[in-house]
Amino acid sequence: MACHFCDSLHDVELIEEGQTAYCNTCGSTLYTNRPQSLERAFAFGMTGVLFLLGMLFLPFITMEAQGSNLTTSAGETVIRLWLTGGPIISVAVAIFIFILPFLQLASLIYLCLPLLSGRAFLGMVPVTKLMQGLQSWVMVEVFFLGTLVSLLKLVKLADITLGLGFWSMIGLMLSLAAAVGGIDKLELWDRIEVAYRRRKTPNVSVEGGVEC
Amino acid sequence: MLASAREKNKVSCHTCGRINPLEEASCLRCQAPLHSRKKNSVQRCLALSLASIIAYIPANVWPIMIVTNLGRTEESTILAGVATFWQMKAYPVAITIFIASVMIPALKLLALGWLCALSAGWIETNPRRANRIFWLTELVGRWSMVDVFVVAILVALVQLGNIMSIAPGTAAVSFGMMVILTMLAALSFEPRIIWDNARQSATHE
Repeated sequence: MACHFCDSLHDVELIEEGQTAYCNTCGSTLYTNRPQSLERAFAFGMTGVLFLLGMLFLPFITMEAQGSNLTTSAGETVIRLWLTGGPIISVAVAIFIFILPFLQLASLIYLCLPLLSGRAFLGMVPVTKLMQGLQSWVMVEVFFLGTLVSLLKLVKLADITLGLGFWSMIGLMLSLAAAVGGIDKLELWDRIEVAYRRRKTPNVSVEGGVEC
Repeated sequence: MLASAREKNKVSCHTCGRINPLEEASCLRCQAPLHSRKKNSVQRCLALSLASIIAYIPANVWPIMIVTNLGRTEESTILAGVATFWQMKAYPVAITIFIASVMIPALKLLALGWLCALSAGWIETNPRRANRIFWLTELVGRWSMVDVFVVAILVALVQLGNIMSIAPGTAAVSFGMMVILTMLAALSFEPRIIWDNARQSATHE
């Protein structure tokens, strides 16, 4: 394989689980052998979807001020934002916080489930590309920091109670990190290649190798 | 320094990492179009950085939030928001917002300019340092969105009729544009060119 930063050619060696190989020239991470990467990505992907639904529909925050009482979920918050004069921002929030994370989790599940039994589904290659491309655009953890900062402003104005939706957001943030961070990119692509090869010639059993 | 894939007449797929012969047009494994180096990376990176500098100005000059409190309207810019938190003695928050919304974008644009100058060969440095800076630039970019999200949450939640309401200012959108443009600029940058230059000067010596 070649380093993604400096293009140095390396032979891929089998490393032990949990170990990481670094580039000899520039010191960047080349690859990490993650234990049970697909199982974990699948499990955390499913958890993430549940948390995402929880964040969308469960009460996120309750505000009490001067007799008025407001309970809202994150999904409603985006709708309120649209109605109160911030349509562009509300679309941006919806894309970065709900749509892209959902796409990422969905593509992870779509990839991991069949690959766990060595099967190939249609369109796995574009789905993997999508999953990798979304990496920098999923901003749940940035939104979490934003929520903390705005809570500090809000506590001055009203009594705040955090609901299950808020805790779901934290769960979503953690499971996204675990699901995407646990993926072993080399293994994923090797397994896809093996699964497709097996589909074309069903009688040949191919062991997943590290050569590429 | 190890030989690069290109020197060995190979090209590594940007999508799946497979090593292909240099003459292939698309990856033998995933069919993604192959290019040994990203096309026009310096021009694209500079153009996107310039566009984000243009967006950076209104993002800091115009109000990001408009607060109406008992009929009194108050517009606040990003820096004014930092100052408010500082006066509230919420120092960690003030520092976080200052770093995320003012320092990171500015440093990122400086870093991208410096990296472009490096790959154009105008200046020279240890390529390992350039590598670390590029890695950092890619890593921190998204955190600048924090301020946009803060505005989004406050606008959605603080609608207490006549008592108090918050509306998004024009800077919120320009700020978001600026962050997205710097992220795209970082994505279009090609760090391998810096290493190509380093390999070339190593063989000349």
